[in-house]
Amino acid sequence: MNTQGAKKRKMRQALVAYSFIAPNFIGFAVFTLGPIILAFIMAFAEWDGNNPMKFVGLKNFADLFANDRFTAALKNTIVYSIFTVPFTLIVALGLAILLNQKIRARTFFRTVAFFPYVASLVAVAAVWNMLFTPAKGGLMNQLLMNVFQTAPLKWAAAPNTVMLTIVLFSIWKNMGYYMVIYLAGLQGISEDLYEAASLDGAGALQKFWYVTLPQLKPTTFFVTIMLTISCFKIYDIVYMLAGGSNGVVNKSAIVLVYYIYEEAFRNWKLGSASAAALVLFAIVLAVTLIQFRGEKNYAND
Amino acid sequence: MKKRLISMLMGMTLVVASLAGCGSAAETAAPAAEAPAAEAPKAEEKPAEAPAAEAPAAEETTNDAPVTLKWALWDKDATVYYQPLIDGYTAAHPNVTIEMVDLGSTDYSTVLGTQLSGSDSDFDVVTIKDVPGLVTLANKGVLEPLDSLIAQDGIDLAAYSGITDQVKVKDALYELPFRRDIWVLFYNKDVFDKAGVDYPTNDMTWEQYDELARKITDTTPGAEVYGAHYHTWRSTIQLMGILDGKHSIVDGTYDFTKPYYEMVLNQQKDGVCMDYATLKTQGLHYSAAFYQGNVGMLNMGSWFIPTLISKIKDGEAAAASNWGIVKYPHADGVEPGSTLATITALAIPTSAPNKDVAWDFVKFVSGAEGAEIMAGTGNTPAMSSEAINSKIAEMDGFPTDANSKDALNASHAYLEMPANEKSSEIETVLNEQHDNIMNEVSSVDDAIAAMNEGVKAILGQ
Repeated sequence: MNTQGAKKRKMRQALVAYSFIAPNFIGFAVFTLGPIILAFIMAFAEWDGNNPMKFVGLKNFADLFANDRFTAALKNTIVYSIFTVPFTLIVALGLAILLNQKIRARTFFRTVAFFPYVASLVAVAAVWNMLFTPAKGGLMNQLLMNVFQTAPLKWAAAPNTVMLTIVLFSIWKNMGYYMVIYLAGLQGISEDLYEAASLDGAGALQKFWYVTLPQLKPTTFFVTIMLTISCFKIYDIVYMLAGGSNGVVNKSAIVLVYYIYEEAFRNWKLGSASAAALVLFAIVLAVTLIQFRGEKNYAND
Repeated sequence: MKKRLISMLMGMTLVVASLAGCGSAAETAAPAAEAPAAEAPKAEEKPAEAPAAEAPAAEETTNDAPVTLKWALWDKDATVYYQPLIDGYTAAHPNVTIEMVDLGSTDYSTVLGTQLSGSDSDFDVVTIKDVPGLVTLANKGVLEPLDSLIAQDGIDLAAYSGITDQVKVKDALYELPFRRDIWVLFYNKDVFDKAGVDYPTNDMTWEQYDELARKITDTTPGAEVYGAHYHTWRSTIQLMGILDGKHSIVDGTYDFTKPYYEMVLNQQKDGVCMDYATLKTQGLHYSAAFYQGNVGMLNMGSWFIPTLISKIKDGEAAAASNWGIVKYPHADGVEPGSTLATITALAIPTSAPNKDVAWDFVKFVSGAEGAEIMAGTGNTPAMSSEAINSKIAEMDGFPTDANSKDALNASHAYLEMPANEKSSEIETVLNEQHDNIMNEVSSVDDAIAAMNEGVKAILGQ
C-alpha cells in the first residue's frame, strides 16, 4: 500500500517533469531529430524527393570522393577553417584587450568593431567587392600598386586569391562578435590577480602571459569550438563574394554546404547530398572531440 | 569536475545544433518522406485514366460551380501580363477565380520543386521558368503529360514553330509555352552617330559584328565607349556557337565555341567590352550598363524591350533613349535570323485539384487569344506570327525604323537549353568553364577540353 502510493507519486512527478520538457522536445524531434535520422537513411539511398527511394549502400560515398567538385569543396572548407579560426581568434582577442583599456571613446570603437557583425551580409559584401574589385581602379588594387609597388590582384575573380578574399572578409565580419565574448571573459578576471602580479613585480607582458591568458582559457575554448563549427558551415559569404552576378561558384571557391545545397536542390540528388552532409558531420564531430581531449589542458579547475 | 560536465554538454549541444544547420538539405525533404509511399499508387493510376475520364467532365465544371485555380508564378507585381491574361479568361468564364501565388524570382524553380515534392500541393497551374526546371519536375513525375489532351482537343503544335519538339522529356510533352523571347542585338544609335559609323543591319556575320564593335570603341580613360557588352551569363557567348544549327549545347563536344570565345577574349583585352571579372564581382546589371549610354551594342533577349521602353519614359535610361534592335549576327553561310530563344510555359501538376479547368486555362493562355493579350503588353508570345510581331512593333516607344520592326521575325529559334535529363549537371560544368575562360584562368583549349570531358562523364552515367 505504502510502496504503491510512493510509486504513484513518483510516476506523477515524472509525468509533470516530462510535460515540462515536452514542448521543447517535440519541436526538437520534429525539426531536428527527424531530419537527422532521415539524412542518415538517405545517405545510403538514391532519391529525388518524389519517386520511390532506392537503397544503394555505400555507393553515394564512393561517388562523392570520386567527384572533383566534392573534393574541391572539402579542401576549400578545410583551408578556410585553418586560416579563419586562429586569425579571427587573435584579432578578436587583440581588439578585446585594446577596448578593455580605459581609452577615450571606448564605446564608440566597440560599436565600430561590432558593426560588421550586425550589418546585412548582402550590403557589406557588395561594399567589400567594390573595395576589392579586380579592376585596376579599385581601392585595394590602387593601394597595392602605389604603396606596395606590386601587381594588382584579381581577388575574388582568380582561383589563387579567392579564398584569401573570403578569409579576410570573414575575419573582418566576425571579429566583433568574438571580441564581445572575450570582453566578457576579460571583465570576469578578478582585479586581485593583477594586483598580486604587480606586487610580485610583473610587467604588462608578463601579466598578459601569466594572468590574462590562463584566465581566458575557458573563453578561448568556447570561442574555438564556436568558430570551428561556424567555419565548417560557411556558405553565404562564399555565395555573395564568389558567386557574383551570375551565381557561378567555381571549384576554386566551392565549400561543403554549398555543394550539399547544389546536389540537393539543383540536381535533386538527395542521397548524395545527405552523404556529403554526413561527411561534414563526421568532420565537425571529430574536430570537436579532439578539442575536448585537449580541454583537460584548457580548463582550469 | 562539474565544470567539465557542463562544458561537455555545451559542446554536444553545439555539435547537434551545427548538424541541424548543415542538414538543412535533409530537413526540407523530410515532410515529403512519407508522402510518396502513400501517394504512389494514385500517381500511377492517374496518367492512364485521366484523359478519357476527365474530358466529358470538363464541360460540366467549366459551366457550373465556382472554381478557384491556384497559379504558381514569380514577380507578380512587376509582370504586366498576368492580370490581363486572367481578366481575359475570367471574362469568358465568370465562375472561375484565379489566385496567383508568387514564389519569388531568384530561386523559383527550386521552390516549386520543393512545393510539388510532397504531392500535397494544391497548385492547379504552374509556370515553368526554364528547361532544366521542366526536366527536373518531369523526372520527378509530378507533372501531367499533356500529349493526349493536345491530341484530343486538336491543338496544332506547328503554331509554336518547332519549339515544343525541343522540350519533350522522354518523348512526352509536359508544358505548353505561352511566352517566347528571342535574342536580338540592341544598339545605341547615338554611339554610332558620334563615331560616324553606319548602324548594324539585320544581315551581319560575326566578323562584321566584331569589326563594327571595334570601330565605335573608344579606350580614352574616363571617356570609354564600349563597342559591345556581354552580360556574365554563359549564354551570351557560348551559345553564339549553336546558331549554325549543326551543334547543340548538350552534345558533349564543345570545340565549336572556340572562335566565339576567342573573339570576345580579344575584345576584352582590347577594351572593346568590359572586363568579365569586374562585371561579375561588382554585379553590374546589363540594363544598367546599357543605360549609361557608353555601350554600343548589347546582345540580349527580347524581354529587355518593355523594360527599356519604360525606363526611357522614367528618364533613368535617357542616355540610351535613341536605340534600335537588329537580328542576331550569324555564322558565315548560315541564313540570317537564326537566334536563341527561351520559353516560359505552363504545366499542370499531377496533384492539381481542378485539372480540367486548369487545362482549359492553359489552352487559353498558350493559344491565340492569350498571344494577342501578351502582344498587347509588349511581350512576345510563344505562338508567334508576323501579325503579332508587328503589333508589338507598333507599341509606343518601340523604335520606328524598318530594321527594328523586322528584327523580331526569326527564321530559326534554338532553345538556350534543350530538354535533357542531365541538363542541370551539364550546366554546372559549362558554367564553371565559362567562368574560367572569361576570368582568363584557363586557356580556351583547356577549358573546352574540360567541358568535353566533364559533360561526357555526365552523359555516360
